[in-house]
Amino acid sequence: MISTAPALPTLLVIPTGIGCAVGGYAGDALPAARLLAAASGCLITHPNVMNGAALYWSDPRIHYVEGSSLDRFAAGELLLQPVRQQRVGLLLDAGIEPELRQRHLQVADGCRATLGLEIGPVVITDRPLEVSLILGASGVSWGQLGQPEALLRAGRQLKAAGATAIAVVARFPDDPDSEALAAYRQGSGVDALAGAEAVISHLLSRELGLPCAHAPALSPLPLDPDLDPRAAGEELGFTFLPCVLVGLSRAPDLLPAAKPPVVGGASAPALGIDAVGAVIAPAGALGGGAVLACAERGIPLIAVDNPCLLEVTAEALGLEVIAASSYSEAAGLVLALREGIAPAALRRPLPPLRLQD
Amino acid sequence: MSSVQLLPLLLQLERQPGSLREQVEAAVGAHGTPLRWAITAVEHRPEQPPLLQIEAVVLSDGAAEVVDA
Repeated sequence: MISTAPALPTLLVIPTGIGCAVGGYAGDALPAARLLAAASGCLITHPNVMNGAALYWSDPRIHYVEGSSLDRFAAGELLLQPVRQQRVGLLLDAGIEPELRQRHLQVADGCRATLGLEIGPVVITDRPLEVSLILGASGVSWGQLGQPEALLRAGRQLKAAGATAIAVVARFPDDPDSEALAAYRQGSGVDALAGAEAVISHLLSRELGLPCAHAPALSPLPLDPDLDPRAAGEELGFTFLPCVLVGLSRAPDLLPAAKPPVVGGASAPALGIDAVGAVIAPAGALGGGAVLACAERGIPLIAVDNPCLLEVTAEALGLEVIAASSYSEAAGLVLALREGIAPAALRRPLPPLRLQD
Repeated sequence: MSSVQLLPLLLQLERQPGSLREQVEAAVGAHGTPLRWAITAVEHRPEQPPLLQIEAVVLSDGAAEVVDA
């Protein structure tokens, strides 16, 4: 079925580093995102959903927005201005070894030559960023950065040189023998890198006001014959960078909501939270900024059964939600909302109306 | 040396009436500029408001801390 109704801008949130069964690995929520983009006609989502390391999918109906910017969009602080193309500056951590650095430069060159992306300039931080990994009290992956100002200096340098979006590559600690990594590769653990990645891109995007996303630089891992398909995207090449460059290449500009959008030359009108008609999140992870902001605005919240480490549910927070047992069902609900069909009319039993007291 | 640091936080917050998001942001924001936060657990208590566990990373010049908001 092809919907002829106007698009229903929809927010898809699958938090990073909480071990979601769908979306907790290497861009393994991408099929769900593609389906939801087709159902809604306009999907706004974040790098954790879209990034599959060497694998990616570019869809003009999908807006790629880094997590902290997504929170600010949901809070009504930012508008999203679609663009034809971003000029993606490449920010490399000085802690990356020369050979690994060269691999990343070759990926950028490959994306220029093969995909036609505009990439550059390239800047190396003036000192190693010193990334470390942390698990929080709940088991959620967070992360630490020893030299945040070195990251910001390099980001400012790229912005001054004309970059309109920034891809960051930081050297992450190798830990090939860890139990956590083995569990992740076999489909039962948390992505330990994800939290630090989020912190890096949040910091840069918040300070510079540009679309940003991060790829970790790591040494290649030995072959694992029991590799879970959801983690396989990260084992196809020497870097995790291609998906980031592709995602950023058409990421929307981030406009302060108070500033009227520039119409001339824009490929489409700017999008604000008032236009959003649905938000979708894992049923156990409803305690994030974007979801709460949408819920407080009365935007229909679709809570999908997507097991994760957390149990921050609608019941625990007192939120009203539309429950979905899968992203397929969520897509059906989004399509219903887009077509003006009340989701309750699709469920049985359908209780009779009652007079209000 | 960096003059700013990224600091992990673990907070306990008693939920009050009103915007939950604003309550969390105020609690986290008291320790620095919030970069990332989430409610990671909710404890329901008899005859008391729910107690929220919040994990966050803020930009600050202080030291890592675990506090009750």
